[in-house]
Amino acid sequence: MPLARPLLGWLAFAVVMCLVPVFVSTGTVRILVFANFLAIFAMSWDVISGRTGYISFGHPFLIGIAGYTTAMLTYHLDTPLWLSIPAGVFATLVGGTLFLLPALRIRGTYFALVTLAFMELMYQLTQVIAPKVTGGTRGLSGIPTIVSGAIPNYYLTFGLVFAIGLGLWFVLRTRIGAALAALRMDEGAVAASGLSTIRLKLFAFMTSAAVAGIGGAFYVHYLGSIAPRGLFDINFLFTILVAALLGGSSTVAGPILGAYFLTFLLEYLRPYLPGPERYVIYGMIALVVYVLEPRGLHAILRTGARRLAPLLARRRIAP
Amino acid sequence: MAFLEIRNLDAFYGRARSLHGVTLDVEAGRIAAIIGPNGAGKSTLLDSILGLVRTTGEIRLDGVSLTGRSATEIVRLGVGYAPERGHLFPFMGVRDNLLVGAHTAPRDAERNLRRVFDLFPVLEERQNQETGTQSGGERQMVSLGRALMSSPRLLVVDEPTIGLAPRVCHDIAAALRRMNEELGITILITEQNVNFATHLARDVLVLETGEIRLRGTADELMNNPHVREAYFGH
Repeated sequence: MPLARPLLGWLAFAVVMCLVPVFVSTGTVRILVFANFLAIFAMSWDVISGRTGYISFGHPFLIGIAGYTTAMLTYHLDTPLWLSIPAGVFATLVGGTLFLLPALRIRGTYFALVTLAFMELMYQLTQVIAPKVTGGTRGLSGIPTIVSGAIPNYYLTFGLVFAIGLGLWFVLRTRIGAALAALRMDEGAVAASGLSTIRLKLFAFMTSAAVAGIGGAFYVHYLGSIAPRGLFDINFLFTILVAALLGGSSTVAGPILGAYFLTFLLEYLRPYLPGPERYVIYGMIALVVYVLEPRGLHAILRTGARRLAPLLARRRIAP
Repeated sequence: MAFLEIRNLDAFYGRARSLHGVTLDVEAGRIAAIIGPNGAGKSTLLDSILGLVRTTGEIRLDGVSLTGRSATEIVRLGVGYAPERGHLFPFMGVRDNLLVGAHTAPRDAERNLRRVFDLFPVLEERQNQETGTQSGGERQMVSLGRALMSSPRLLVVDEPTIGLAPRVCHDIAAALRRMNEELGITILITEQNVNFATHLARDVLVLETGEIRLRGTADELMNNPHVREAYFGH
């Protein structure tokens, strides 16, 4: 596939997003910061689940490991952020290895349930094991932030989205990306073609864990606090899942698109539906989009652009 | 010494033993066929060669033991595998399906791609078509092509004619013959279509309930009363 067009697309995305704070209110920029975090988590989920077909219901477990590691290191030991954040990401890689173990023997619903158990286990452990260290049910607050203010945080988080997105796009368009997609469709045939399915899974799980770890660590230092109830929550998990699926699974742009769409949808519904009933509405919208186009918003936009291009070209030619 | 040597091979699914002391040789540059009814263990035998099932016994390729090796190593040593019904990646195009087979021989990818398109020109015309939308015959061609992408010295093909029209079977046989004669690839196929197997292969073995019951040349087996009774009903 020629590189120029997609790279121009990434460049245009960067330019537009860098200009956004100039035109929107500070409140909207704050919403965008959350959208950026959701985009990172959705991209991470998609590397495991969208690419390889191993549906993870335990992604908050990976995010939480990085979050708690860096939070505890900075809170209790005054560890500098340049050390605590990589330590958090490293801890998530170890957690990703734990995720891989069931994937060596099971997949489908069973794998999803085992990963859900990981999340529940982490939820209980943070409250029961050494609550003085983890902060127990209330968690930890007063964790140092990296930058302060909506706009610096926006540029920081967008920088992460852009770097991770572009990095994943480069890696997943190689032969490895094709092999991961093949793994989702027929693992037996991948093995029979002489590829190591274990290595492929290890690559996908480690990549996903690293992205989840980066997102989790920066998220905690943005919030300045961490608590088990907010992090290991089924709604948080489903928001990540729906963002990836709604935007377009097995693509890099899809989860980013889904994250922005979903965050704004939830925020704009908030004045009208302040309670959890918002989730019913967003669930319905997700369902409608999914029924109309199972490949998500990304595919809808692509199809729209493809249909629009000849019309625009005709108008340009006409005197 | 035969190119492929299998000695006293037992294969297991859990505790169930599905191959019982299989011993066979395939000479270099030949086409050999294993015929047998459903459940005879034909696919298991090919899976065993690829290291995809638990086995005891000995499998050697050109003197090198394949026993205990991973499928990746075995493919690197020169075994290409076209499984039953293709097992393609349905949402990927023809070209991408073929390139998955090139992972163990990336340097030969372009040359092998040309060979595949030379053998099956229809695949070159439809290289961007998703294989899930292709006919059974085209999918079988992609499956053989994907196996060829690993630069094999031994090609093992599981029931290449299953569900295919006679005309397509003829094309598949012609392609397998060309792979054997022009590229020098030794071929081992399994088949239930005895006519196809005996027309294509020089050496034929009959596998029943996990054991080799008969072996000989295609002509010998076609004249064997047991084979005639079991496979032709007369």
